[in-house]
Amino acid sequence: MATLHKPRNGAEWATVCVAVLLILLGLPLFIMGIQLAMIGGSFYYVLFGAALIVAGALMLTGSVNGAFLYLAAWALTWPWAFWEVGMDGWGLLPRLFGPTIIAIAVALTIPTLRRIGSPVMSSRGSMV
Amino acid sequence: MIHKTSLMTATILFGVAVIPVALTAVPAAFAQTPPSNSAPGPGNATTGHDAEKSSDKFDAPSPYAPQAPGVNAANIPDGPPAEPSEPTPAVSQISSNPDHDDWPAYGRDSNATRYSPLDQITPENAGRLKRAFVYHTGSKPAPGQINKWAAETTPIKVGDGLYTCSALNDIIKLDPATGKEIWRHNSDVKYDSIPYTAACKGVVYYTASTVPEGQPCHNRILVGTLDMRLIEVDADDGKLCEGFGYHGQVNLMKGMGESVPGFVAMTAPPPIVNGAIVVNHEVLDGQRRWAPSGVIRGYDAETGRFLWAWDVNRPDQHGEPQPGQHYSRGTPNSWAAMTGDNEQGLVYVPTGNSAADYYSALRSPEENKVSSSIVAIDVKTGSPRWVFQTVHKDVWDYDMGSQATMFDFPGKDGPVPALIVPTKRGQTFVLDRRDGKPILPVEERAAPTQTDVPNDPRSPTQPWSVGMPRLGVPDLKETDMWGMSPIDQLYCRLKYRRAKYQGEFTAPEISRPWLEYPGYNGGSDWGSMAYDARSGVLIANWNITPMYDQLVTRKKADQLGLMPVDDPNFTPSSGGAEGAGAMADTPYGIVVSPFWNEFTHMMCNKPPYGMLTAIDMHTQKVLWQHPLGSARANGPWGLPTHLPLTIGTPNNGGPVITAGGVIFVAATTDDLIHAFDAKTGKELWNDVLPGGGQATPMTYEYKGKQYVAIMAGGHHFMMTPVSDALVVYALPDSK
Repeated sequence: MATLHKPRNGAEWATVCVAVLLILLGLPLFIMGIQLAMIGGSFYYVLFGAALIVAGALMLTGSVNGAFLYLAAWALTWPWAFWEVGMDGWGLLPRLFGPTIIAIAVALTIPTLRRIGSPVMSSRGSMV
Repeated sequence: MIHKTSLMTATILFGVAVIPVALTAVPAAFAQTPPSNSAPGPGNATTGHDAEKSSDKFDAPSPYAPQAPGVNAANIPDGPPAEPSEPTPAVSQISSNPDHDDWPAYGRDSNATRYSPLDQITPENAGRLKRAFVYHTGSKPAPGQINKWAAETTPIKVGDGLYTCSALNDIIKLDPATGKEIWRHNSDVKYDSIPYTAACKGVVYYTASTVPEGQPCHNRILVGTLDMRLIEVDADDGKLCEGFGYHGQVNLMKGMGESVPGFVAMTAPPPIVNGAIVVNHEVLDGQRRWAPSGVIRGYDAETGRFLWAWDVNRPDQHGEPQPGQHYSRGTPNSWAAMTGDNEQGLVYVPTGNSAADYYSALRSPEENKVSSSIVAIDVKTGSPRWVFQTVHKDVWDYDMGSQATMFDFPGKDGPVPALIVPTKRGQTFVLDRRDGKPILPVEERAAPTQTDVPNDPRSPTQPWSVGMPRLGVPDLKETDMWGMSPIDQLYCRLKYRRAKYQGEFTAPEISRPWLEYPGYNGGSDWGSMAYDARSGVLIANWNITPMYDQLVTRKKADQLGLMPVDDPNFTPSSGGAEGAGAMADTPYGIVVSPFWNEFTHMMCNKPPYGMLTAIDMHTQKVLWQHPLGSARANGPWGLPTHLPLTIGTPNNGGPVITAGGVIFVAATTDDLIHAFDAKTGKELWNDVLPGGGQATPMTYEYKGKQYVAIMAGGHHFMMTPVSDALVVYALPDSK
């Protein structure tokens, strides 16, 4: 059973912040996404919201898979966005701009998460 | 290595922390209204018979009740009711054939073309335009007054005078070269008389037939006021014309029955057609079904004598009501600028809706025939000669805001006297002025009729002008919803899905909100259009601004504090979308709000929100079209982004086209005045105004120099800065 990783330095604290941010952004997407899907709207938001919550939770346990999950959801968002609005710049803006900035932040946590997950760190780490 | 990585992560995290801040810089047109009542949402109301029982806290005053103090603003004695009569024969007016350097009428000429033959300013030199002078009218909210200002003024220029009015109807003559005040008539309009908006769209220039040249009041300036007076002053010295009405004034509240200040108001310049001043007035939307009448009246331009009335529910009575009677209540009102046709002896009246815009079960068949229409009234008798209806049984507030433009349509057997009729729907109708028959094809198309409002069926069809390009976008889809991020976009997608929406003419609903597109602020509004008869080019700026509305039961309306303006408990407030109100005397109130995110104040639909279009009227094809207005003064939470991106903002105020090949339009919420190349639509020049440019510009020549004037009065509903500045531009003198 995975448990929360206890951050030990600035980089790890930063990683935790990114993970918490993912969960905070994922919750409204997931909740309103369910409401939207239930009244005949798009299913994208419930899936994307769920991905953010799970990704954030995994990252909190120190798993690099959380970061990869978010990046996968972000990568899939691109073809979805073009499918929905085509080459319409204004239409693409809300769909891609924010998620891409978050993706950069998440990508930058990967080295830290890798270190947390490596055997050397695990043997020394207290929480894993 | 570790150190480096953590530093980088920290840097990025800082970046994440500032995302919300950064996002505010994302260009976004924000909509136009201050916080207003939002639609209460699903499950709001019962639709059964309880709803029919009115729980009015306040019974309507009897329409026979005496008018409140201040309603007859100048305390003008009424005298006995007048019988219908014909106007004093008139001389030809300069607006019928303006000098090339003048702009003698609101729409420049009696055709309302907004076309000037001036050609000193061209696409080559427009970029060098500089301010020549700024004149302050002095009319803006005093400290502590709620901002209800939107001057919307277009000055006129005749000979050596630039004539304008302040938002509260003071009449002013300026030196056209310097902006120096030559005279000013104080009209003494009180703050309480402001209806939804303090506006004075313009003054009227009239040359008398009975007063010889050189005598006082040979040339006169006429204004219709917010507090329902006609005032005529001498064009040379600004003194009241004693021979007009009661010492220069006419009380337009005569015969109107019970009212309170601000319930009815004149905001548009009344046209003078063959000697008859034709008067219309705004009736405050959304108050009560039995609001004061929307009667249209004629008055003699020489003497102010009553000529006739066109009162929808008293169609055969053209005289003033007998003592103890009044014009029929709640009839469709007309607040837009009308167009006078001296040749046909007609006035083209753009009508609105019967009072209580969103509920039609209490309307008479006579009202249903003439609402949201162009009505051509014979100026000798006050009888309609023809009617063309643009919306059947309107419950969407698609009142006619634009002044219709007259032109000669190139027909098979020669030119046909024609009328261009813009609408808020973005449908532009082209009619024969002689009989009101469409020249370009009009189709009756099926419209949605499903509604949960009992006993108020909708029209099964509505008219579409299929021969003219539509000034609109296709029906909204969920994927058109917008925001800064996926979260606020999702919020709008939910709002979209929760509303009833079956395309244009989605019928009103009680149990959940309904989405209205184009909506009452969409398409063409009071700015009207500009037409260059030489090239056949028609210029239109227009809006894409959907609304989110819901009918509420009387109980809910009481809870929301919706009450009519004549309720003793009524407290004036500003802003809010026009039309939200009690709709007293009906079973329902109405909540009207922009289709926006209430938290960020950004529209829910994606940009653009405003467009500028050029149409070739010979082929009825779009020559060019592009978004109008930048993001510089707009953004989420009302914050300016300072970005020069052309996003297309909501706009109010019309265009001007000149022989020099330049189009001038302000109107946008970026507080700019713009000049465009008429051939290509390319922006040539712009300048930041001291307030919102929600007015139609005008241009004139004086002492060999061409000027462009714009009233930068701002607009409270558009949330643009209020100012009292009339800004006038010219090219710098060549050295």
